[in-house]
Amino acid sequence: MDGGRRGKPVGGVLRRLLNQIGGALVFPLLAIGISFLIGAVIIIATGNNPVAAYVALITGAFGSPSAIGRTLVNATPLVFTGLGVAVAFRAGLFNIGGEGQVFIGAITAAGLGVALGPLGLLATLVCLLGCILTGFLWGAIPGFLKAFFGAHEVVTTIMLNFIAINLATYLALNTLRGEGLVPGTDTVAAAVRLPLIGLGLGRANYGILLGILAAVVAYVLLWRTGRGFQIRAVGLSPGAANYAGMGIKANTVLALAIGGAFCALGGFVQVIGVEGKMSIPFVANLGFNGIGVALLGRTHPVGVVFGALLFGGLQAGAQQMQFATDVPLSLSDVLLAVILLFVTATKIVEFVVGKRARTLAAGTRLDEGLGR
Amino acid sequence: MEDVLGLIGSVLASAIRYATPLVLAALGGLFSERSGVVNIGLEGLMLISAFTGVVGAYFSGNVIVGVLFALAGGLVFSLIHAIMCVTFEADQIISGVAINLLALGGTGFLMVLIFGSGGTSPRIGGFSEVPIPLLSQIPIIGPAFFNQSPLVYLMFLLIPLTFFVVYRTPFGLRLRATGEAPEAVDTAGVSVTRMRYYGVALSGLLAALGGAYFSMDQLSAFTERMTAGAGFIALAALISGRWNPIGAAVAALVFGFAQAVTFRIAQDAIPLEFLQMFPYILTIVALAAFGGRAIAPAAVGKPYRKE
Amino acid sequence: MSETRPGGGAAGASSPVVLEMRDVTKTFGPVTANDHVSLVLHRGEILGLLGENGAGKSTLMKILYGLYRPDWGTILVDGEEVEIRDPKDAVARGIGMVHQHFTLIPPLTVAENIVLGAEPRRGVSLDLNEAIRATERLSERYGLRVDPRARVADLSVGVQQRVEILKTLYREARILVLDEPTAVLTPQETEDLFEILKELVADGLSIILITHKLGELLGVSDRITIIRDGHVVETVNAAETDERALARLMVGRDVLLRVEKVQAKVGQPRLGCEDLVVRSGTGAEAVRGVSLEVRAGEVLGVAGVDGNGQVELAEALAGTRPVGSGSVYLDGEDVTALGADARQERGLAYVPEDRQSKGLVQDFALYENNALKTYDEPPFSRLGWLFPRVMRRRASENLDAYDVRPRDPDARAGSLSGGNQQKAILARELSGDPGVIVAAQPTRGVDVGAIEFIHRQLLEQRERGKAILLISLELEEIRSLSDRIVVMYDGCMVGEMSADEATDETLGLLMAGRGVEV
Repeated sequence: MDGGRRGKPVGGVLRRLLNQIGGALVFPLLAIGISFLIGAVIIIATGNNPVAAYVALITGAFGSPSAIGRTLVNATPLVFTGLGVAVAFRAGLFNIGGEGQVFIGAITAAGLGVALGPLGLLATLVCLLGCILTGFLWGAIPGFLKAFFGAHEVVTTIMLNFIAINLATYLALNTLRGEGLVPGTDTVAAAVRLPLIGLGLGRANYGILLGILAAVVAYVLLWRTGRGFQIRAVGLSPGAANYAGMGIKANTVLALAIGGAFCALGGFVQVIGVEGKMSIPFVANLGFNGIGVALLGRTHPVGVVFGALLFGGLQAGAQQMQFATDVPLSLSDVLLAVILLFVTATKIVEFVVGKRARTLAAGTRLDEGLGR
Repeated sequence: MEDVLGLIGSVLASAIRYATPLVLAALGGLFSERSGVVNIGLEGLMLISAFTGVVGAYFSGNVIVGVLFALAGGLVFSLIHAIMCVTFEADQIISGVAINLLALGGTGFLMVLIFGSGGTSPRIGGFSEVPIPLLSQIPIIGPAFFNQSPLVYLMFLLIPLTFFVVYRTPFGLRLRATGEAPEAVDTAGVSVTRMRYYGVALSGLLAALGGAYFSMDQLSAFTERMTAGAGFIALAALISGRWNPIGAAVAALVFGFAQAVTFRIAQDAIPLEFLQMFPYILTIVALAAFGGRAIAPAAVGKPYRKE
Repeated sequence: MSETRPGGGAAGASSPVVLEMRDVTKTFGPVTANDHVSLVLHRGEILGLLGENGAGKSTLMKILYGLYRPDWGTILVDGEEVEIRDPKDAVARGIGMVHQHFTLIPPLTVAENIVLGAEPRRGVSLDLNEAIRATERLSERYGLRVDPRARVADLSVGVQQRVEILKTLYREARILVLDEPTAVLTPQETEDLFEILKELVADGLSIILITHKLGELLGVSDRITIIRDGHVVETVNAAETDERALARLMVGRDVLLRVEKVQAKVGQPRLGCEDLVVRSGTGAEAVRGVSLEVRAGEVLGVAGVDGNGQVELAEALAGTRPVGSGSVYLDGEDVTALGADARQERGLAYVPEDRQSKGLVQDFALYENNALKTYDEPPFSRLGWLFPRVMRRRASENLDAYDVRPRDPDARAGSLSGGNQQKAILARELSGDPGVIVAAQPTRGVDVGAIEFIHRQLLEQRERGKAILLISLELEEIRSLSDRIVVMYDGCMVGEMSADEATDETLGLLMAGRGVEV
């Protein structure tokens, strides 16, 4: 008859939180560790000193205000794509369409931003809402295809990536083509752009605050609303969700649509925040790296923010690393891929620490394999 | 009239060429998925093989050595997928995405390291057509089927060969059983782990041939991202073809045909980007029409755990 | 079924020992599944292995078959000590196992399933013709009728079981272990199986029969070894014991084989259906024109072998499966078009037969599971906003009331034992004071203590005037709880009677489709 716990609300919440976080950190940390180990081996193979390389990496990521600025610039869109993937994962769905959704958001932002220039911050707001809408609709397509035709969302979202990229590219180079040396759209007026943070942080803008706000929205959505309850139930046990009267089809479409909206905002911050226009070629791998960010963060909004900062830092630091040693820039892509590779390989923990650690760290359905 | 027939013939030939890497990768995907391992990393496997093939051909001056290097690249990467999914029970779809990213980053990295800069590699001597005497003279279908490069002929042979292996050999029986009911296979004394490793390794080898086609036949060099989604289209062909070698080959041929036709006919009328979209749109339509995964091997996608 | 089998033929303590397991011990973490277990099997005998769910019988046999490695102990086959590291070793030693959950590959044919792993070859290809011939030969010899070319997915459960047995015979098994083989069979199919077993034994095979069904063991086995809580309690001769004694040995105390029940006070019909037709997932008709009604204060038991439409019937009544045609009534209102939550609002509670994938979200906390159907109503939520603290409080109260252990509303549902999970589901469903309860297999895979608790809860609801529809595969349960009993066979209701009129024989015949005039 354990009634004692109920008498200590604060202690209980804190203990629960610590338990959850502690258990949850095992796999991401392991994945990062293994990735850096493999990276060190590769660096040695290229004839460089891994310690020097990693020091350069870390300095380039967090070592100075300008480095932190670069990290924030890289991380900001990843927060959004990470959330876009994480929310869909919670419904048991794979949103591999981040790439395309980012492009859709970017072209929407560029188009609306240029057209509504005179409206200043109001235009920024309209761009934001516009991106949410177009991203939502674009994400709803694979959701609809899955719910009503059974077409697996992995392949459809990937196909839509190519379609979106081609579509956006066409619009940027033709209909919305701007003047200027760099091919792409016109530049959005300064009044519409997201203000820079300053403080020596270079091009870092308030988009990162928007990202944190988005993470809060995602958290509230998933754990404080009835819709979020449904999404999580459907993701963890479609059979039980159906038994409880929750609509699987509706939640499938919604989850992917919401995911699309978040990812499109990644394109929004990249255009309205960092670049001021949509240039071709546009930033690549935001969607795929969003997957890594989401998994590293255990598909939890808080984790996504930290994961995005890590990924952003790795990318920023890689430039410094190429400068200082001559390890090619693409190593950061390789490291990120290795992290993604190991982050769901929960059985490795068994090899390293033993079976109990694995059951302790079990929490989300990821440990059972997300394949549906 | 002659013009039209000639056009049909050349479009057919073109279609078969477009379809070749798709069929090869789809057959590879078949072996993996039939054993129960989802492999969406076909794209990455093809890309890395295209690269290693060029490396091999460049440094040895011999295109066959290049193919061997391509096979090695595909095999190594597919074994990574196998180890992660089968032994470490990682999520199979995530692992596939990671393989794709690894190939992207890896080829970028190695391009700089080996050839000094990104973009396109130096040229190599690639495959050229080998006309089969007499048969290649047949009007319309002659050039299409019998005046192609060795990789295309290999593709033709692999279709019936795959069918035979999967449906007429003990290996094939065990493979199919592993993908449907691994517990049953386990209690029959056959190693689920070993069958899945074989399945994934075969997917690596076949996808490698598909990748080799890109960099050693279609083009005689490696360009970053040159596979452009072919691995995913191949996966869609596999699904549309119901995980059956003949079905997958037919589906891949249809996709190849669509690509050939659009490029031939619409080249000037429609902007490049919209032409490029077409195969992907077609794939989505095919998946919506045929896609219900209800007919997939029953145990695909889940790690097998002995309790 | 309860006639004792004369210990004749080639069996008996006098024939050579063909298998011996000594001091076998196996632990899984803190749980000791087998504690120095020893058993002996003679040639030509049928040894019953009796014990409750979780007593350790399956574990012991899995060790024998090489699926588990024991921590300690020895196994001797034909007097020779052997090491069995995997099923291959077991098969090589002539041990064959027919598992509780069939290990067949549905899309493949009977012949393919039988030869898998030991396929006849012709050069590099698979000799399917030889596989078919081999199947026919075995089928003839042992009287196990099957069609080698049939797809396993198309076969009935009884025939599938024959395929499983043929698999072991193809590999020349001399020791056959059957794990709960009658769980999925009608009484008649069970008799057929036992005839086959006697034939096999006459041919020189030795059989171990694992079950928790006392009555059947007495009918077919020579000796019975009883296992309780991981250790052997006793080994008795079937001819020298009876059901009562076995039950006591199995559970360790006098078990109430029937629950005390007061006279029913039956009122108005509260739940009913008319000419109900329901399709299963594959599109086939699972329920074919069923009409029934459940009145307030009564328990209507639906008996039948698994797979005859009971699950689909329950789902259609509860609203989680759409109806093909016909109608469902709740308190006089036609609710056919209404979904599960609408029916739940009108007072229908549903305990599904699958707590793992339907009744609970295993990865949700208990408080979230407790609110699985009511999360969108006050006080748990308002205008779409959730209040987890309120959910936790309400869940705590429920967990206390229904004796769910551990009493932690934050505990992950999947971490609870089967019995506690079932009680948690019951807590959720009954706490809303429903008027109608549909309970499908409420005690499947649950320990005896929890079974008693759940039965008492259901009877209490009955006394309070609720209408209860009970679907169960256990005739014992149906007989002890129901006031009226109906039988489902092949999607139709084939018999209806009061509980007093029902006998195992009548029910058994109906369950097997051999209709009795109602």
